[in-house]
Amino acid sequence: MSRMRLFVTVAACLALGLGAAACMGDDNKTATTTVTVGETTSAGGGSASGKKVNIIASVPPTDHGWLGAISKDAKAAAEKHPDVNFELVQAADADSQAQQIEQAISKKPDVLVVLPQDGAALTPVAQKAEKAGIPVVNIDRLFTAPDAATATILGDNYQIGVLAADYISDQLKCKGNVVEIQGLAGISVTQDRTKGFTDTLKQKCPAGGIKIVASQPGDFNPDKGLTVMENILQAQSKIDAVYTHDDDMAQGVVQAIRNAGREDEMFLTGVGGSQDAMKQIEEGGLYRATFLYNPNMAASAVNMARLIGLGEGFSDLVPPEVPRQVVVPAAVVTKDNVSEYEQYAFN
Amino acid sequence: MSTRTQAAWSGALAQRAKSLEFQEYALAIVVVLLFIAGAILKPDTFPTWDNIRNMLTQSSVVGVLAIGMTFVIATAGIDLSVGSIVAAAGVFGGILLGDSGTSSLVFIVGAILFATFLGTANATAVAYGRVVPFIATLAMFSIARGLALLLNDKLPVSLLDLNGGSFGDPRPFSLLWFGVGRIFGIPVSVFVFLAIAILGWIALNRTRYGRYVIAVGGNREAARIAGVPVRRIIFSVYVLSGFLAGISTVLLCARLGSASPVSGNLYELDAIGAVVIGGTSLAGGRATIVGTFLGVLTFALIFSLMTQLNLSTEIQQVTKGLIVLGAVLLQRPEARY
Amino acid sequence: MTKVLEVRNLVKEFPGVKALDGVDLDVLEAEVHCLLGPNGAGKSTLIKCVSGAVEPTSGEILFRGEPLPQGDPAGSLKRGVATIYQELDLVPDLSVAESIFLAHEPRRGPLLDLDRMYRESKALLTRLGHESIPVRAKVGRLRPAAQQIVSIARALSGEMRLLIMDEPSAILDEAEIETLFEVVRRLTAEGVGVVYISHRLDEIRRIGNRVTVLADGRTAATGIPATTPTDQLVELMVGRKVEQLYPDRPVGGERLLLEVRDAKRLPAVRGVSLEVRAGEVVGLGGLVGSGRTELLRLIYGLDQLEEGEILFEGKRLRAGHPRAAIRRGLGLAPEDRKSQALVLDWSQTKNVTIADLGRFSRLLLDIRRERDAARKQLRALNTVPDDPDRQVRLLSGGNQQKVVLARWLLHECRVLLLDEPTRGVDIATKAEIYRIISALAASGLGVLVVSSELEELAHICTRVLVMREGEIVAEVEGKDATEKTLLRHAVAPTDAPDLVEEVV
Repeated sequence: MSRMRLFVTVAACLALGLGAAACMGDDNKTATTTVTVGETTSAGGGSASGKKVNIIASVPPTDHGWLGAISKDAKAAAEKHPDVNFELVQAADADSQAQQIEQAISKKPDVLVVLPQDGAALTPVAQKAEKAGIPVVNIDRLFTAPDAATATILGDNYQIGVLAADYISDQLKCKGNVVEIQGLAGISVTQDRTKGFTDTLKQKCPAGGIKIVASQPGDFNPDKGLTVMENILQAQSKIDAVYTHDDDMAQGVVQAIRNAGREDEMFLTGVGGSQDAMKQIEEGGLYRATFLYNPNMAASAVNMARLIGLGEGFSDLVPPEVPRQVVVPAAVVTKDNVSEYEQYAFN
Repeated sequence: MSTRTQAAWSGALAQRAKSLEFQEYALAIVVVLLFIAGAILKPDTFPTWDNIRNMLTQSSVVGVLAIGMTFVIATAGIDLSVGSIVAAAGVFGGILLGDSGTSSLVFIVGAILFATFLGTANATAVAYGRVVPFIATLAMFSIARGLALLLNDKLPVSLLDLNGGSFGDPRPFSLLWFGVGRIFGIPVSVFVFLAIAILGWIALNRTRYGRYVIAVGGNREAARIAGVPVRRIIFSVYVLSGFLAGISTVLLCARLGSASPVSGNLYELDAIGAVVIGGTSLAGGRATIVGTFLGVLTFALIFSLMTQLNLSTEIQQVTKGLIVLGAVLLQRPEARY
Repeated sequence: MTKVLEVRNLVKEFPGVKALDGVDLDVLEAEVHCLLGPNGAGKSTLIKCVSGAVEPTSGEILFRGEPLPQGDPAGSLKRGVATIYQELDLVPDLSVAESIFLAHEPRRGPLLDLDRMYRESKALLTRLGHESIPVRAKVGRLRPAAQQIVSIARALSGEMRLLIMDEPSAILDEAEIETLFEVVRRLTAEGVGVVYISHRLDEIRRIGNRVTVLADGRTAATGIPATTPTDQLVELMVGRKVEQLYPDRPVGGERLLLEVRDAKRLPAVRGVSLEVRAGEVVGLGGLVGSGRTELLRLIYGLDQLEEGEILFEGKRLRAGHPRAAIRRGLGLAPEDRKSQALVLDWSQTKNVTIADLGRFSRLLLDIRRERDAARKQLRALNTVPDDPDRQVRLLSGGNQQKVVLARWLLHECRVLLLDEPTRGVDIATKAEIYRIISALAASGLGVLVVSSELEELAHICTRVLVMREGEIVAEVEGKDATEKTLLRHAVAPTDAPDLVEEVV
């Protein structure tokens, strides 16, 4: 987090001393104040006390590029702090993750860091941890109850949809047919990315010149992306742009378009910032842009967990405390700025 | 003399017709109904030669798996690992190529051999380790998926260098040719699928091997007493299933242009579903390749139609479930015999 | 004597088949009324109509003077009609008491009243004279005879007026049959009417009062005395005169085909030696559990020998390898045709050729040649129906047995092992099977027959070996063999039937 300054939004309700429930509302985008936290963040908090902080992080299996980067960054951040004992566990599905967290609770760590498979399903076990006096730091996918986490750090998936809609409507000058290949149906990430996209398209092109001609789930999976796109290509004779929810999945979509020989007809955007995607953006052609929030938010989460464990706060906040919610903003990567972002690319 | 030959011919024909079970007719009706529904709802884009070609191409990946699954289920077994094997074999073939490899042959042979190897592991566990098929292949389901992730550090392998020519005109027998190549306007992958289906039909219905497979599923003890090499037969169907998973890998990766460790997700369920709605009995002893073929087509038609109609996921899932249930209910009269 | 059951002009049509075509039957209180008839004559359909499992097309069934509700099993049961089917419908993992009270368990509040269940089970078993059956033992650990008594006790746990038994003796040996008869006599003494189905004429004389003979869905004779001569009964069943139930005894040849030396596999087979020569039929008698079936399995290679060896035409057979045995020329028609010999969904053809597909197979199967070859063998055995494409599931027991025999004829095997070849087969077909066995021996095969019907062994064998507790205890020349002598050898002097068996 050295060159790119991290914009950390702190929930306004926290500053105002209101209940945290309001933070979880859809309108939290407008109810947040942006606070700039400087370099001191990572250095913040003294290790003078000499106390060791035990942190256990539970994440889904890292079969997906972005999640892989999450694990790596979390580990790297923990290694920077000599006063942190860090353990990373991975679970294949929501049930086994819940069991793992149960086990973690019994080990009585100082802080738990959880990126849940499924926020709703893992809310009860997180509440249990909180009740047992173990603070939980929630990454990326939200729990559904306010008392399930002491602090939350999440990427702004809604904003990703917003940025994608901005980009596509600008490129198409508010006129054309758009296909959306969604992620996994039924999780908040997918819903937010879709909602931000459709909401913004309506605002930007009130005349309705852009038509979403197909919107289908690709399950974050390249071969599902391939087959879904093949069928959509059959149904739609004219497509101008494709908004996909994920760079890896987008590779399948790209392939479907190429196999059909229609790569000149349309362009495509991804989400995530994978190396493959960045390479293709740089080369130019079908793949025009990707939208990302940095996976090194996991490092921030570990840092936050450490501060919570030490009972300290961000020194730039008054009074110094750990914010309830940190929203990492998204950014647009196109051919123009891809060279700046390549260092954040993961594979 | 000629009347006798004629009689013999019509007799043989009647027999052929009898062997085409009611179940297969019932599913054929479902296929036709779905096609008609598509033609009515999407008259411009559904009943086109291009879309038929597309649906057949899409069928080919799961279709090849389903042919292997038919043999496994015919012995009263199950293979839950094929989807994971597809992923593992693809990644294995990919890393075999190395950084600068461009030989399609290396990938194809590597993927097929590796898939066959994993199938052989299943076979050994089931036939000689006496592990229940469900458990043995569930373990492989997990192992193969793990290997897929492990082999290349969770990364997909790009196979675009294996194009073997431009997109429009791939070199025969290059990987891309299997993905987008055509012979007489018909995609190569469809040829592969049809060839395997026909060979599967012949093997199941017209060879000693097929007879043994069904005997083992129909009555294992009786088969043993009649001198059927029961263990070898059980062994062979899992090897076959692995081998066909390898072919399926080639067809998928060819189209995808990469080998992804997360591909093939839940393909085993699609394959098993196609086999069962086709009329092959999960209890073994009854198997039909024609039914499996129609089952695969049914799934492809449903998927294509619902995507074309741009139905939302939840509606898609409910509809798919209802169509599958309807197809099975249509076959119920058969269950009485 | 009042009539418990009256059946008048009963008709049952299945699609395409008239299973019952005007059947009459009446059963008195305290009598055993035997039901005779070849397979397919309609016996099963008739009793299913009475028990309510099947609804008749027309006709009436009166139970103690009142019409019995039709097609209502629960109604029939409630009025006191109990049926014990051939395949016992007990759950092996339930205890004896649980089985007896299955579906009408005594309760105390929401909980099972186990004490009462055990107590009343004990009382019921005592009433049947079998208080020695442990009420807490799992049914699966009982011998078949004891299981049958549990079934009867279950029927008794309601108010039973009529007991229908469908071939209860098929799975029992001599001593067990006598036990069963004792129970039946107790019940009739209490006034219960019994309908007893069996293919074994000797049983009918021992237990029956009157006989009804069914043939082709009609009553060929009803209410005739059980003492009616055999010839006459057989004639009524078959509709023609059966010349001779048993064919001439094969004399046997010299050439040694099969030699078993000291075969051992504990606990069932404890060192058995025997020889089978070309042209002879060797009988293997004994009680159920004496090790006969296990011995056949050893010879055929289905189980591993622990000690000893098997020689076929002087050369050692590879142990534990049935395929090797088949290749050398051995064939086995196992005890339970349905579960061990046949693929029931398959056609006759496929079941005949499965052991010898190689001869029709180069790369592909020549299915026409296969079908023709199978048909030839099936016709030679007079298998009915003459349709090689017919599913064997739809065949009668006797014809299913012929399909198995046709398999080994096609294979041209030289030694045939037959395990209970006439079980569940009607008398006309039995006669045919005896003739087939005799003809096979005459053509130079060696045949080793296991049977619990000692009478048939006494009539068809060149010599009979008797097994008891895993050993051969006697060898009797065929011409000297009678049912009585064989039984005497089979039952040890002190042998009291022990009805609980530890299943290994």
